[in-house]
Amino acid sequence: MNKKLLAAFIICISVTQLHAQKIDTVAISILDHMSAVIGDLGSCRVHVNSNYDVPSQHLGLIKHADQEEVYMHGPDKLLIKSDGDKGSRDFYYNGKTLSYYSGDNNHFAQVKTPATIMAMVDSVHKIYGIEFPVADFFYPSFVDDIIAESKSLVYLGLTNVDGKECFHIAGKADDKTFQFWISNDAYYLPAKVVIVYTNKEMNPQFEATLSNWQINPSLPDAVFEFTAPPKAKKIKLAATAFKK
Amino acid sequence: MKISINKILSISFFALMLGALMPQQIMAQRFNHGGGGGGGFHGGGGMPAMRPSINGGAQNMGNHNFNRPAPGPARVNTPPVNNRPVENRPPVNNNRPNNNGHINGARPDFHANVNVYHGGRGGGRAYAYHAHPYRPYSWGPRWHPLGFFLSSLAADAFYFSLANQGYYYDDGVYYEPYNGGYTAVAAPMGAVVNSLPDGYETVQLGDGNYYYYGGTFYVDGPNGGYQVVAAPVGAVVSQIPDGAVDQQINGQDYLVYNNTYYQPVSADGQDAYQVVQVN
Repeated sequence: MNKKLLAAFIICISVTQLHAQKIDTVAISILDHMSAVIGDLGSCRVHVNSNYDVPSQHLGLIKHADQEEVYMHGPDKLLIKSDGDKGSRDFYYNGKTLSYYSGDNNHFAQVKTPATIMAMVDSVHKIYGIEFPVADFFYPSFVDDIIAESKSLVYLGLTNVDGKECFHIAGKADDKTFQFWISNDAYYLPAKVVIVYTNKEMNPQFEATLSNWQINPSLPDAVFEFTAPPKAKKIKLAATAFKK
Repeated sequence: MKISINKILSISFFALMLGALMPQQIMAQRFNHGGGGGGGFHGGGGMPAMRPSINGGAQNMGNHNFNRPAPGPARVNTPPVNNRPVENRPPVNNNRPNNNGHINGARPDFHANVNVYHGGRGGGRAYAYHAHPYRPYSWGPRWHPLGFFLSSLAADAFYFSLANQGYYYDDGVYYEPYNGGYTAVAAPMGAVVNSLPDGYETVQLGDGNYYYYGGTFYVDGPNGGYQVVAAPVGAVVSQIPDGAVDQQINGQDYLVYNNTYYQPVSADGQDAYQVVQVN
């Protein structure tokens, strides 16, 4: 009888702890592998198709879309050429300066930045509110951050994204649910992400597919240098510090 | 690859079974299986600063701290969207006539025995009244009507201060900081902006040119910019933004937007609106 009580007690404790945070070790293993490959890249190029919802009081969720061509060369070179509902926009980062160029308006802005890509991404996000979609995949602490936020994280199985077999991972945090699709090949690179913001009215979504990955391409430094086109006007980036 | 995943699944299943029985022990094994110094593929946690990788290498591979508190603001790909709850939409443009919740059709004020003038700078052409339906116009995805709330602005939003009030200007829309975000407001008179978005109209009135975008009129400003001015009486525009209110004057329907009266007219065979003065 005492043994049965002890067993029931152990099982109760186990169930309680598992309910507190359901983290699937397979999901962690896959994300670890992905993060390791990204961390080992010297350079890369990837195409990102993203779409996101904008809530409208009268119309509900309105879908917007952007396409980005991303070029990275470690540790301090980044070029993003973006086109879509936010207009034609380019971001050049050469390790010292981030240059923003609007092709629609033919104007540009330049700001001094930290010396590495991820430090720059963090810095311009904090100061200017600039978001680089899917940048989270490139954070060295990506897996740690996911674990820290997740209430549950589960590997769901294999599925196809644009004809490529991928590991499908789903998770839930306090304010969102998210899903990752990681390619089932030698590289374990991210192929798709979907985030549903469950704490926002109408539950807007963000979705991005990553395709045409090029691993360690040769990217000359000049690619990341911005030269203002003729008649381009220089403007100032508005810092979010202006908020009152 | 499927074979390796099967292996992982098998190992994980075994680990989970052990975990169900002895959670404390299995957590300890998991945290240390890559080696005490950080383990994993990189042989150590942290971010080697000089490594020529795009991000310095992944951290804590196979040695994650499962009890680490979540980082402050959520950082799982926060998209650049306006996902502010719409009920926080602030009351702006208080001077606009109250439409009692109606967009088109409410007639809160009945103007009788008032005069409507069409004359403009240099004597603009007066068009005859021509009733046609009001269809609120949008100037594209980056244009927002008065009162629209954004949680964040585009990176190239331009900040300026006028009469001790700070404004942001982005693609033809003016914003004021509000409740941790930004709300679209009427263009402040006298403000000068460097550029107007594609889609603005050039309105010729007498000898002068006006520019019209998003319900705002501009004239040529200093240094090649555009300066916000009051709507010139006699100007004819093709569209009026969302938010105009229908008002009846002398038995005819007019639209009022941002304290400007527009008379429905037919200009060159097209439905249009002419700015009129009412007193």
